[in-house]
Amino acid sequence: MLTASHIRKEFGSVSAVRDVSFTIPRGSTFGLLGPNGAGKTTTMRMIVGIYPVDGGSITWNGAAIDDRSRRRFGYLPEERGLYGKMKVREQIVYFGRLHGLHDPEIGERADTWIRQLGLGGYAQRPCGELSKGNQQKVQVACAAVHDPELLILDEPFSGLDPVNADVLLNMLNDLKKRGTTLVLSSHQMWQLEQICDTFCIITDGENRASGTLQELRSAWPTRVVKVEPATAALRTVLDRIPHARALETNGALYYEVPASTTYPALLRELVDADAVTRFDAIEPSLQDIYLHAISNPPPTGNAHE
Amino acid sequence: MLMSEIITVYSAEVMRRLRSRTFFLGLVFGIIGVVVIIELPQWFDSYSRQTDRILLAGNPQLVAAARPLLAKDFVVAGNWDGSGAPSLEMLKARRAAAVVAIARGASGVRVTLYAKDPGMISASQLRRDLVPLNLQFDAGIRPQRIGALLNIPVRTQSLVAKFGTAAESDAARAVAYILLVLLYILIMVNSQLIMSSVAEEKTSRIAELLVASVNPGALLAGKVGASATLALGQMAIWVAVAWALSASGQGQVAAPSGSEGSGFSFTGISSSDVAGFVVFFLVGFLQTSTLFAAIASLINRTEDLGSIAGPMFVPVVAGFIIAISALAVPDSPAVIVTSFIPLIAPFVMFARIVVSSVPAWQIAASLAINIAAICAIAVLGGKIYRVGMLLYGRTPRLSQIWHAINA
Repeated sequence: MLTASHIRKEFGSVSAVRDVSFTIPRGSTFGLLGPNGAGKTTTMRMIVGIYPVDGGSITWNGAAIDDRSRRRFGYLPEERGLYGKMKVREQIVYFGRLHGLHDPEIGERADTWIRQLGLGGYAQRPCGELSKGNQQKVQVACAAVHDPELLILDEPFSGLDPVNADVLLNMLNDLKKRGTTLVLSSHQMWQLEQICDTFCIITDGENRASGTLQELRSAWPTRVVKVEPATAALRTVLDRIPHARALETNGALYYEVPASTTYPALLRELVDADAVTRFDAIEPSLQDIYLHAISNPPPTGNAHE
Repeated sequence: MLMSEIITVYSAEVMRRLRSRTFFLGLVFGIIGVVVIIELPQWFDSYSRQTDRILLAGNPQLVAAARPLLAKDFVVAGNWDGSGAPSLEMLKARRAAAVVAIARGASGVRVTLYAKDPGMISASQLRRDLVPLNLQFDAGIRPQRIGALLNIPVRTQSLVAKFGTAAESDAARAVAYILLVLLYILIMVNSQLIMSSVAEEKTSRIAELLVASVNPGALLAGKVGASATLALGQMAIWVAVAWALSASGQGQVAAPSGSEGSGFSFTGISSSDVAGFVVFFLVGFLQTSTLFAAIASLINRTEDLGSIAGPMFVPVVAGFIIAISALAVPDSPAVIVTSFIPLIAPFVMFARIVVSSVPAWQIAASLAINIAAICAIAVLGGKIYRVGMLLYGRTPRLSQIWHAINA
């Protein structure tokens, strides 16, 4: 289990991370969200030990992270880079060696990764000759060749075309099935929604919301209901809901209603008022929650703090 | 674990460098350089022998008497029996620089010199060589006796234990001169290679992946160790080539200008000189390369490498220049003081050791100071390297670096 407790990092007069806390159960997948400059990369760098924390603590399975535990971590930084003249297989083997792997295991693992990522035709080519997408796959292999217990990926989908993004997503799902704890940051919310179990939204170096998607939704103060057809009678019923707000009318009525609204009772009232052809209670997406969280002060009802 | 990380980085760096074109070219050009350094004096020597070729003219008996006297300083290519002034074409045809026409008059021997370039033949040397003829004709003393009388033996007795004769002292200066040049080239070239390697990792953005995978100290130590090994290997090959040329009788390096000795052969390098060279190379290289690597970690574009590393070259170049001066005055106060200063000492102390008798305590103190300096530079350089590898954007100001290394 990875635990970050009130971690803080300052660079001179700049506070990159003020107060971030989260707990990631072993084997789960964790999404770290936030706008540019929120402190995600600094937080990740503190986890892998590149930066020491200035305050708070980070533990792995209850113990402080040292060089030994760090060897069992994998890290894909946001800034991608490879030795341009080194061949693909050689590069993956080198990073495996840096993480303590030995022959012949290291060669077998490198070959497995090359096969899984569809890099078989490039194994003996210098990395500098590969396309950006293929270079990124090599970097992922370098970060994960030693089968890490904890794999941290900073913006792993950026720069990938949909096909390669899908290859990466499948690969991450495989790692997840094998019990690897994953920490990801990405601006592609839908991809994170597909793979992550828990999330933490940070901005200005502070927690804004954290928990599972269900928990985040539970803490969301409103819901959107969609009702068809857009008749005056149905509109009147929706207007009567305390704190309800009409959003748009596009052949249907969209209303933001308090999360506490009881849908069966509301539906009964609507059916009594007019012929309802469609009633949807739309759950907030991760993107909605994210946008709300980063533009508002922290709500009191966070799922986890 | 740290050791295994260092070994992994070390092995990878050695393999990368061995396979690189720059290493191969450096090795080949180094060998060519060594051959040129050894052969060049002989080429010059053979040319100067041509400029010393003279033809003798005049009374055959007089010419016969003058020939052995002039043979000490000139190559007497033959006689010229023409009359009047010789032509330039004739000199060219006989590959001679001058015709020396010798005659005997009332006041003694007279010489007329017909030269392609009068500056090439020393009139005073001719005069000195032919003095015995005048003495023979005037005082009736046999030339052999005159030669013996002119050759007053001078025995040089050194007051220090290092060298017994002036020739040994000059040979040592020549050794020191060549080895200093080699030391300077090896330290500068290999330190710059480390600097380029770090800059490549920084600019290719692989640095973050590396420092997340391996302790930055181990990364730096592996790099420096690999570079030192390859530099020593390179040097061993160059010296072996030089030694082989010397052993085959071709290699004779001229002594530096101003010395009276005839030079030295690579086969004459003492084991203590070699040991001193290796020790001071390692000391100088570890200091310089660690600093260069740390500095290189601060740049964002390889184009910035020159400007940020420029000031770092100053102490190394200064050390080399002072060491060259130290060959002539190894015991001057300035030389003694600078032989303790880190970055400079590896050159200056090495020069002092080769050409003079340096008290053991001074060598020990210099090594102690410089090894302590290596530790200090490693700690400071390691901190700069750790922070610098992740600093992107504008080249940081000194105050920012200071804050970062104190973080």
